[in-house]
Order: sequence, then C-alpha cells, then structure tokens
Amino acid sequence: MASANQENDRPQNIRAIMTFLREHAPFSSMDDTHLAHFAEHASIQFYADGDIVLSPDQDVVKRFYVVKQGRIRGERHNDKEDRTETTFEISQGECFPLAAMIGERPTRTLHRADGDTFCLSIGQAAFVTLFTESEPFRDFCLRGVSSLLDQVNRRIQSSAMASIGSSTSLDTPLERYALRNPIVCSPDLPVRKAVARMHENNVGSIIVTDENRHPTGIFTLRDLRTMIAEGTGPLDTPIQQVMTKNPCCLPSHADAFEAAMLMAEHHFAHLCVIDDDHKLIGVVSERDLFSLQRVDLVNLARTIGTATHLRTLVSLRTDVSRLVDAMLAHGADSGQVVKIITTLNDVTVRRVLELNIKKNDPGIPFTWLTFGSEGRQEQTLLTDQDNGILFQTPEGMTAEQVREKLLPFARKVNDELAECGFTLCKGNIMASNPKLCLSDKEWDDWFIRFIDASTPQNLVYSSIFLDMRAIYGPTEPLNDLLDKILTRIRKNALFQKMLAGNAFQRKPPLTMFRNFRYISEGNKHSLDLKRQGLAPFVEAVRVFALANGVETANTLERMDELAKKGVFDPKDANAWKEGYSLIQAIRMRAHQEMLAKGEELTNYIDPDDLNPLDRRILRESFRQAQRLQQKLEVTYQL
Amino acid sequence: MLEQIKQWIEHRRGGKIGSHDPGNLPHPKTPGEQLLTDCRLIVLDLETTGLNPSKDEVIAIGAVAIRGGIIHLGDQFDLILRRPELDIRETVLIHGIGPEALTQGHEIEDALLYLLEWMNGDPILAYHSAFDQKFLEKTLKAQLGYTQPHTWMDVADLMPAFFPNTKTGGKGLDNWADYFGLEVSERHHAASDALATAELTLVALNKARSEGVKTLKGLYDKLHYHRRLQNMHRF
Repeated sequence: MASANQENDRPQNIRAIMTFLREHAPFSSMDDTHLAHFAEHASIQFYADGDIVLSPDQDVVKRFYVVKQGRIRGERHNDKEDRTETTFEISQGECFPLAAMIGERPTRTLHRADGDTFCLSIGQAAFVTLFTESEPFRDFCLRGVSSLLDQVNRRIQSSAMASIGSSTSLDTPLERYALRNPIVCSPDLPVRKAVARMHENNVGSIIVTDENRHPTGIFTLRDLRTMIAEGTGPLDTPIQQVMTKNPCCLPSHADAFEAAMLMAEHHFAHLCVIDDDHKLIGVVSERDLFSLQRVDLVNLARTIGTATHLRTLVSLRTDVSRLVDAMLAHGADSGQVVKIITTLNDVTVRRVLELNIKKNDPGIPFTWLTFGSEGRQEQTLLTDQDNGILFQTPEGMTAEQVREKLLPFARKVNDELAECGFTLCKGNIMASNPKLCLSDKEWDDWFIRFIDASTPQNLVYSSIFLDMRAIYGPTEPLNDLLDKILTRIRKNALFQKMLAGNAFQRKPPLTMFRNFRYISEGNKHSLDLKRQGLAPFVEAVRVFALANGVETANTLERMDELAKKGVFDPKDANAWKEGYSLIQAIRMRAHQEMLAKGEELTNYIDPDDLNPLDRRILRESFRQAQRLQQKLEVTYQL
Repeated sequence: MLEQIKQWIEHRRGGKIGSHDPGNLPHPKTPGEQLLTDCRLIVLDLETTGLNPSKDEVIAIGAVAIRGGIIHLGDQFDLILRRPELDIRETVLIHGIGPEALTQGHEIEDALLYLLEWMNGDPILAYHSAFDQKFLEKTLKAQLGYTQPHTWMDVADLMPAFFPNTKTGGKGLDNWADYFGLEVSERHHAASDALATAELTLVALNKARSEGVKTLKGLYDKLHYHRRLQNMHRF
C-alpha cells in the first residue's frame, strides 16, 4: 500500500502534527499531502500566560496560527469606558488571524495568551500554497473572507461590538427574539383595562386577538397618545374601535433582517410573530432587534418617510451612507445591504412623490415604476434614476391628455430626486419622458413590439425594462402587465434565444489564461465591477428567470427560485450567488472608500490595488460567471 | 542550511545520506554571548538497547532544532540506525523498534556524520543529558573516532532552575510534560521525546527572557548555579 508506506516514511513528529490537525476543521477534510505540507513548514512557539502573540502595533501579519494547546484571547480597548474588553477566544485546534492574514494587514485586535499556550504556525508562502492547492482549506478561508470583505471597511466601535455579542446576527430567526406569551386581549375590552394590562406587564403594546388567537389588531402607547390628544373617544371605548387593524405579521422562521425591513418600510415599531396556522406566538419590537436599533434603520426610514421638506430629504442622504457603513460593520452581507439601500431609496422616492402630490396634485392616479437595479432591489450608493409611470386612462380622457397633466409633475419629481442624489438618467429613462409615461394599454403594446421586434437597441433595454417594480401607487396594473409579458416571453423561444445571445456577449473579464481582461478604454488597468463583473450574472440569470416564469426581479432571489424549480443545480446556484455577492461586496467597499475620500463614485477598480487574496477571490467569482454563461451557451445552443 | 535540508529530504526518500567530508566537520560552539533570541539549540533524544553505556548501543536518534526560541519542524532529525547484529529482546517493548526495522535502518557511519553536520556544533540539550551524552560520545568515538567535546545542557536541570518551587510530583520528563499539559505523541520514540523536551525548553526559554537571561552563557551559568545549589543541599 503506497499511501501507508508514505505515511510511515514521514518523521514521527510530522505524523503527530498531522494527527493533531486531522481532529480540527478545516484540516479534517484536507488531503494528507496538504497536511504534511502544513506540518513540514510549521513552527512551534510557546507563549506564557499574558504574553502578546499579535498586536495591532506590529507590522503586516505574515504567519497563520493554529492553537496547539492552551488558549488565545482577543482584546480591544473600549475608549469610551476606558477598559479592555475580550472580543473573542480561540481555543485548541482553531486558526487565527484569518482576516489580517488574508487582508495582508496588521491585526486589529491584540491577541494575548490566556494561560500557557503553544501555537503551530506557517509562513505566508506555505499558506498561499495550501490556499491554492487545497480546496477545503481555500473554502474555509473564503467563507471567512465573504463576511470579512463586508467588514473590511468597518471602523470598529467597541461599544457596538460589545453589545452585539457573537450570537446575534441579522440571520437570527425571529423566534429567538420574540417575546413569549405576548400581552393580548379580546376586541371588546375597554381601552382603560387594556392600558392597565400593558402597565402591569410593563410593555408598550397589546395585541388584540380573536377566539382562535389570530391577531386582529394592535394597540400601542403611541395610539393611546393620539387618542387622548385628538379626543377620539372615552377610555371605555372597546379597543377594537381604536386599534390598528390587521397588524403586520411574520412567521417565526423569518429572520431579524426581514423584520427590520418590514418595520422600516411601514414605520412600525412592533410586529406579530405567528405560526403556520396564523396563530399568535409572540411580538417583536424594534428595540428587541437591538443591533439594528443601534444603526437606526427603522428610525431613519421613519424620518425620511415623514420629512416635510425636500431639503430635509437631501440632508438625510448622508445618514443613509453612514447607515451603510454601520451595517457593513455589523456584518450584514452585501445582499442585505443593497436591499436596505433600496428600501431607504424607495422611502425617499415615495416621500418625494407624496410631497409633490400635496403641493400640486396632478389629479390622476398612477403607478410609479422603477427599472433596472432599483427594480431588482440591488442599488448601491451609486445610483441613477430609471423610472416610469403607468396609468389607467380615466373615462372621457385620452392618454395624451393624461400625459399632459402627469409629465410636468414627473419632471419636477425627477429633478427633486436628482437633488436627493439620484443622478438623472443619461438615457432619459425617466417618468418625465413621454415615451415612458404610458397607459396600461400603451405599455402592453410597447412590450409586444419590444418582444416581437428584437432589435439590438431593444436588447440593450432588456436589462432595464425586464426588471421592473412598482414603488408607489396601485400595484395591480403592473401585476397584470407583468403576467402578460411573462407569458409572451415564455412562448417566444426566439426572443429567449436573442436575450441569451445578448447576455452571452457580456463576458466576464478573464483572459484564456485566467488573468484579468481590462477594459480597453480609459486609464491604466481598470475593471468595471458593474458592467464586467455583475452584469454577466444579472443578464444570464434574467434569461433563465423570464424563460421559466420567475416573477421576482432580484438576482439572488431569482437564483433561489431557479434552484427551487430545478433549473439550476442547488450547488451551482449557491456558488453563483456567492460569486455575485463577493463582487457586489468588493464594489460596495470601494464605494465606501471613495466616499470617505470625497471622490466621485465610480464602478471602476484597479485590481492591482487589491491584495493578492482579494484578487484571487475576484478571479474565482469571475470564473463562476463564466460557468453560468456556459450553462446559457448549452441551454440555448449559442 | 538549505543544502542540509535538501540533503535531508534526499535522504528521507532514499536511505543513503550522500557524501560527507569527515575531515571538515563543524566545530562545536562554546556558550558565549550568543543571544538566545537568535541562536540555534539542538534538543536530542536517543533510544538504546539498554541503560548501560559500556555494553548497550544506540539504535535511534531523534532531534529537533530551536532557533530564536521557536521549534522549526522543517529542521529535525529522525533516524533508526542499521544494527542488525544487536540483541534488542530486552528493550523492544519500550521503544517498539523491532529487528526488521534495525535491518532496514540507516548505515550507522553515514547517519552519525550526517548528525554532526546537521547539529552544526550547536549546543545540545537533552532530558537527563548525561545518559545521552555518554551514549553518543561512545558511539561517535567507536564508529568515527570522533572525540570533540560538545556543549551539553540538561533540561532536567533547566526546568527546576527556572521553576524552582513547582510541584511536579517527580523529576522525570513525564512529570514536567504532565505539569505543562503537553501531549507526547509517542513516548519512547526518540523524535517524539525530543519534541516534548524541546517544548519544555521553550517554556524555560520564555521564563529566562522574563528573568532577563539573554545570552547562551547566561543560560549556562544559571544551570550551573542551580546544580551547585542542588549539590550543597545534598551535603
């Protein structure tokens, strides 16, 4: 047996180190040759209790450590309270410092031996060899990196870190937060008694339930304040007359992120958590999601949603940027952050519309449409307007007459959105463009022409108009329209093939030799992360989504749906989602850096500015885009 | 250094250890002002056919090197010697080296020359070093006619010298290894014991640094001072 012989050929101490490593992740799933490479290049160091192992004062981290015996403690100084806090503990078999090693920077945390400690370590060269050659090792590092990338920009605020704790994240299911045995009452209970019950239990809200324990309403202290201030009724009024009906509900398996998004969108401070039979299980308040409360998402959304002047809205935009920073620091992933940005942008757009309707109501109901990245809910801080209007022509009017009324209004809204930082669209894809302020009938005709006469120009537009969403006004007209469009595309194999061919044109920026292919125009080595990096994913996924009747416009959600429908292999879907998210994360980090330097935001980066591992991650993500395109190629025989 | 490692790797694959220049072996170093933070120390352990240096023989050599207070696993020595003629019936149960291994071991002359080159004249540490010193000196003299005196230090003295009031429950390697919670992968395997001894040495070197002992000579003196104290107590 060759392998057994090889094993015996290795010196005893190398075998012993390999045996030790095999008991721990990621080494447990690594090949023997790689474990041997680790062991043969390893050093053993001893640290007495309290000795410093790594410190932020030291230079760039050059070694990768595994605790052989003992424990390492991470320490950070809390400037506010002037004391030292332990941020993490690393025990036997665990690795450190992944973030600094991969980021090629000094550590940000003081690593100190907690008790007498022996560490194994390997140098950069051995680390890079293993990273390149061992898939489990690379996966382990990259998994660390994907959350790491989001955090690279963060300025650690010790207080925030301390209060978050390690167990709390945005992915935490609501059942972990939900207050068990929520305070409830029946609909006929007088307000006075309901408030007494709230007082006894020291809570700010009470849920009104029917005999089946289905939540029918919610009554909060704020409602009480309004009731008294406005003199709506006496305190013996049955609570059902003053409660907020149909309270917002989420199932218990929904996560904290969804809850926060819902609260931000509707400006609620409380949500009911329900089981599969719609029975009340608990209540989650804004304060319960404390990590989010710290970054003030809900509060910011509320402030935007109730702003009374345009200039307030304009000034709030800097808060959005600060919030993004904070979200990244709290470890939110790029998918979550772009959704938050989109939500806040939606709130802003809605408020601008509301303020304009208040000032100068065009008098005709309309649906405000949004296209492209905003339609896909994938906006970053760099965003321009892609919007339109969908209206139903009232009796006795022509579409032309309606347009006459709506266009000046739309013009004003477009201008004001520009003041809020949504750049005017260079291609004039805006509601104030008469070609994009259309009745339902006109939109339908427009799409028939669009799908039947697939001119090259039309295909360019596909990335904009086939990802659309309503953000203001009635949504039914858009749903009807979308139904028709999807049915038409599903039936039209030629259009699908042309879409696929168009998507296939957008090649990920890799050369045959897996080097970066830089854009030809412009200065030095630059990559356009949006057009060259994200677009290949977005476009290919769109083709599959439209061809398979997936209604959502969000690229990550589309991939989930396609995996569910069996169009994508779940493993592939995950790899593609990860690749897409990593590029998005690098892009957002670049934006935050540009913002911090006061530079204009662009999607261009120079890969030479990235550290070698980031470069490798980027390259791997592009490779995933290539694989996705290969699927497109095979499916549509391009 | 690189050449040595290359040779070593070569030898791990092959079995024969290249050509040596017996007339040009490295000279043993004496403990002077070399800084502990950058000098190289050899930590060695031998397995033998018995406890009596005058009649028993060395059958395996294990050693690791400490450089700058760090054990580098790429710089180690782990050989079984080819001595098919020896009677090992009494000790086979202790070190687990059977007759077959001894037939397939490395040519003793080659192995010893290689050891001397690899050690590069650096000070040798061992647990109960008198035992290893006697066996190694005897073997070197018998096989190569080599008689140069090397600097030896006993880790069994080093530990109590730096941790004087420690209750280890005994003076053996196992006692100290247990006290510091070390895991010895395979007790009575020369290389494994050498590594455990080296890990204890790291602990002692760490303590030495915190006590302001900076040079090899300082370490050597501390050891002798401890020895003298021990001898005084004895009378």
